[in-house]
Amino acid sequence: MISVSNLKKNYESFQALKGISFDIKEGEFFGLLGPNGAGKTTTISIMSTILEPDEGSVSIAGFDLKNNPTECKKNIGVVPQEIALYNDLSAYDNLLFWGSLYDVPKDVLKVRIDETLQLFGLFDRKDDKVKTYSGGMKRRINIASALLHKPKVLFMDEPTVGIDPQSRNLIFEVLEKLHKEGMTIVYTTHYMEEAERFCDKIGIIDNGQIIAQGTLEELKSLSKMKETIVVSFENLSDSLYANISSEWEGVKRIENAIHFFTSEVNRDLSVIILKCNQAGLSISNIDIQKVNLETIFLSLTGKQLRD
Amino acid sequence: MIKLALKDIQLFFADKRALMLTVAVPMALITLFAFAFGGAGQTKGESRPKTLVIADEDKTEVSKNAIAELDSLKEFKVSQTSLDSAENLVKKGDVAAILVFHKGFRDSINAGNKPPIEFKYDAAKEAETGILQGALLGNLMGIIGVKSSAKSALEKFDSENPTMDSATRERIHTQISNNFSSSESKKQSDSFIKSTPLIAEEENSPGLIHAVAGTAIMMLLFSVVGMGASLLDEKQEGTLKKLLYSPIRPNSILFGKMIYANFVSAFQLVIMFIYAKLVFGLDIFSHLAAILLMILAIGYACSSFGVFLASFSKSRQQVQGMSTLIILVMSCIGGSMIPTFIMPVFMQKISVFSVNYWGIQGFYDIFWRMLPINDPTFLSRILVLFLLGTVLNFIALQMFKKNILKIA
Ligand SMILES: Nc1ncnc2c1ncn2[C@@H]1O[C@H](COP(=O)(O)OP(=O)(O)OP(=O)(O)O)[C@@H](O)[C@H]1O
Ligand SMILES: [Mg+2]
Repeated sequence: MISVSNLKKNYESFQALKGISFDIKEGEFFGLLGPNGAGKTTTISIMSTILEPDEGSVSIAGFDLKNNPTECKKNIGVVPQEIALYNDLSAYDNLLFWGSLYDVPKDVLKVRIDETLQLFGLFDRKDDKVKTYSGGMKRRINIASALLHKPKVLFMDEPTVGIDPQSRNLIFEVLEKLHKEGMTIVYTTHYMEEAERFCDKIGIIDNGQIIAQGTLEELKSLSKMKETIVVSFENLSDSLYANISSEWEGVKRIENAIHFFTSEVNRDLSVIILKCNQAGLSISNIDIQKVNLETIFLSLTGKQLRD
Repeated sequence: MIKLALKDIQLFFADKRALMLTVAVPMALITLFAFAFGGAGQTKGESRPKTLVIADEDKTEVSKNAIAELDSLKEFKVSQTSLDSAENLVKKGDVAAILVFHKGFRDSINAGNKPPIEFKYDAAKEAETGILQGALLGNLMGIIGVKSSAKSALEKFDSENPTMDSATRERIHTQISNNFSSSESKKQSDSFIKSTPLIAEEENSPGLIHAVAGTAIMMLLFSVVGMGASLLDEKQEGTLKKLLYSPIRPNSILFGKMIYANFVSAFQLVIMFIYAKLVFGLDIFSHLAAILLMILAIGYACSSFGVFLASFSKSRQQVQGMSTLIILVMSCIGGSMIPTFIMPVFMQKISVFSVNYWGIQGFYDIFWRMLPINDPTFLSRILVLFLLGTVLNFIALQMFKKNILKIA
């Protein structure tokens, strides 16, 4: 359904994308997971035709983006990262306008607007101006406005940023419904929980590169490590950490804690404690975590997903 | 395109503050200017007599009769004084012009020669006094019965007023010729003097036309800038990006704005003229087609100007800062504030570089010069406005593609 190959994009001298490639099958829920500034929005902008790549190509629903942008556009719905609505129009009028930009007959459109409003729980407020809405309600309308032409492909750029739990859950329910109905969805996020919950396939993006991609299971098996032993210290210093990291493969320091990636907790735990004692470190806490996207990301990049 | 424009129109009417600015503020200003320029507060159909200061050096029966005739015209109230004190009145700025009957007036008349009459006026009020002079000439010719052609009167007028702007000149020429033809025909029916209203003050005074046209165009310029800037708002708010996600052609985003701006401009101008009709009795119904044509032309030129400015800018704040200066300068040189016909000649020359000038002149054509809709002078103004608008639109489109569509 979507094929992205070797996308490169520079902003002046800054390399925002350094060659991004991935393929998405019809009906797949694809997550683009990466920290701030990784290049998620840049990738989505190129895929939604508003930004030209320096190199590389994209095809959507069988159409080449460069040669046939209009056909591509008809098949995609885009939910931008920032809420973009006309605040002085009612939610209904906003939807009527955004929907009218696509070839949907007016009577069909009106029915769909009512359905969509109901789906997002905003039918009762449909005649209120958007400026009177809460952030979460605006987000919901922002998403709704991308669905009215029933696109084959939906791009969503961090749609749950800064949102209340109620709106968030509603959006999740809608997403699950759309996924079940067979919509192909590209979803960017820096919340690994979201990626783990929904995505059939995940691409981990950092510094303009996809550093790993596959199903959650594939990603987990990518890393030999099964668990992370997180040991927090009272007196961790740079020299003490250097001491430890020279002796142990697969460690990361995060503030006052050291993350030890391991395939055998039972074997390694006692060794770790012993080493730390020998090094003169006093332990304040020990935590054992199952491997997840966060730890995979950490072990791949040495950075945390969230700042 | 239409959808985009309709959305903007809907937004426009949803924004009560913008609506107030496009309707109430111009109305208030028109009212103010109408009183300031003396277009309001006069009874319709009556002209105010002009005080005419005359110095009679001839002091004969013939000159006295002529003066009495002038005094009997309802347009003039004659006040006589000596040449010295009359000239002083002009120099002090108390009156704009005086009429001097030099010695030998009677003799010249009797001999059938050109009578020694002199019209002395304040050089700073050239255009204003020109109108008076034109009317006087015509009437005087009638009164003193000089058998000379209207042509020679026109020539005399032209040679005495070499620098007058062509619009005012035209107006006066018509008046002189009218006075001639009617005074000659009246003589045959033994009624000696024709009474022609001097300045078209009977219905549509220049002051009122100036106030309405000048103010409406200036205020329109301010509101089109706001409409153009809504393009930049859309960029800032992210809705422009969202429009670009959709299959509409990117250029139609700009065209949609143009349609919107044209619609609101026409709406605003129509409201202003209806207001002028209701409150000041401006006669809009006799010239409906010409007025509508002019409104469309001005609306088009002004909307293009608004979109043009926006296409060069980065944000609403930037356009508004920049535009205020440009609009004030254009309005000033173009005659929105001070009528061009009382400006010095060099100012009148540069006034053509403003939208205001062409629009205001167009309305003078309609209401004051009473030109018919197919008059070349009038049509040329329409043409200039449309050309100007098209050039601005073309540049705006290029800049829009270059600056605004670049989301990165
Ligand atoms: N218009 C621009 N000009 C210059 N640099 C830019 C521009 N847009 C993005 N960048 C840079 O490109 C990089 C990728 O940005 P992008 O917006 O794609 O990141 P992101 O993954 O969406 O981040 P976030 O999670 O914060 O939304 C960032 O370092 C950003 O600073
Ligand atoms: Mg982003």
